[in-house]
Amino acid sequence: MIFEPIDIEISELSCERDDRLLFKNLSMTLSSGQILRVAGPNGAGKTTLLRMIAGLFEIQTGAIRMNQSPLTECLEQILYIGHKPQVTKDLTVLDNLKFLTGSDDDHLKRALGDVGLKGYHDSLVKELSQGQGRRCALARLWCVESPIWILDEPYTALDVEMVKTLDARITAHAAAGGICLFTTHQPPQSLKYTTLELGHVT
Amino acid sequence: MSLERRMLTRELKLIAARPGDIFKPMWFLMLVISMVPLALAPDSDLLSEIGSAMIWVATLLALLLNTEHLFQSDFSDGVLEQWLFLDRPLAWLVGLKLIAHWLFHVLPLILITPIAGIMLSVPTDVLLALLVTLVIATPALTCFSGLGAALTLGSSRSGILGVLVMMPLFVPVVILAAGVLIRAMDGSDTLPLLALLGAFSVVAATLVPIAVSAAIRLNIGGSN
Repeated sequence: MIFEPIDIEISELSCERDDRLLFKNLSMTLSSGQILRVAGPNGAGKTTLLRMIAGLFEIQTGAIRMNQSPLTECLEQILYIGHKPQVTKDLTVLDNLKFLTGSDDDHLKRALGDVGLKGYHDSLVKELSQGQGRRCALARLWCVESPIWILDEPYTALDVEMVKTLDARITAHAAAGGICLFTTHQPPQSLKYTTLELGHVT
Repeated sequence: MSLERRMLTRELKLIAARPGDIFKPMWFLMLVISMVPLALAPDSDLLSEIGSAMIWVATLLALLLNTEHLFQSDFSDGVLEQWLFLDRPLAWLVGLKLIAHWLFHVLPLILITPIAGIMLSVPTDVLLALLVTLVIATPALTCFSGLGAALTLGSSRSGILGVLVMMPLFVPVVILAAGVLIRAMDGSDTLPLLALLGAFSVVAATLVPIAVSAAIRLNIGGSN
């Protein structure tokens, strides 16, 4: 499928947390097909910026608008996967995804096959390894049709094979006119992206 | 499957995965009740007089016990912040969660109170009044303790703090319920007080989900 053209306009965004200035007067426009990596040292405000764009963190100064309308009206367009597990340990892989996506079983099983969790449908998430748990959280990228992806450290605990699969998925998403923002400390090899460097505020 | 059904199915599956969540408060209730005759004199007149009040307080405490961590695991897993992206208002989802909690966690507690009543030789008509007050009052109590749980999500030792914050709201409910029980023992009309209790629950069930959703947003906004 092809997404409607979309743009996210970030203007004069500043963030101060616990008396430390994380970023100041950040302005940029993201448009359809763009893949943006937010980089910077630990504590540079990467997660905070992503959470602001996802509407999870209150904007102090500046504004983020999506297609000229305020962010809060477009939350259903966003797929946010944070660095927390995003899955319930006591539920099965399939039940977790079913609750969050509302997709039917066949669709979800196909998505789980794509992330290499075929045959784990009925395993409890707590029985999986950390990387498999991460794969389960990421499986939503294969079954939800949101144009804007915000992924906080999506590569954590993934093996080489899965990193490639994820790169390919992000590339396909951008090719379909979606937007992807992510953070990582290990620059992915098989992905073309632009970088936003945080952490230069003095 | 609609989001509402998904939510309820999820609650049921969570209960199946963690049955202790239901049984621990029930054990607690029965434990308190079985200790009462041991701590007091085993005098059935005395017990039948104070029994219904003891059961009421023990049920309240058991309810607090199973509600204090209502949103905690979803919050720390990051599942709660995903609720903000679902295509329903957060207050509606919170309301569903509270309804599910009442149905699957609080109702079982109420259902075992007759056993507790027999243990303390509470007269049948008072026992009936006790059951009715519990059914009418616990929605309000569930809402208030849920609000306490949501307000203290961000702090690490949240359990008792949430209860303390909500204590002033429990007090009128307990006073009204005690009034019903006293009247039931006298054999006088309990309906006016029950109606007041019911009004309390209706108001709580309408307004508290909005407050809870604000508290959840506040805590999600302050976390990473």
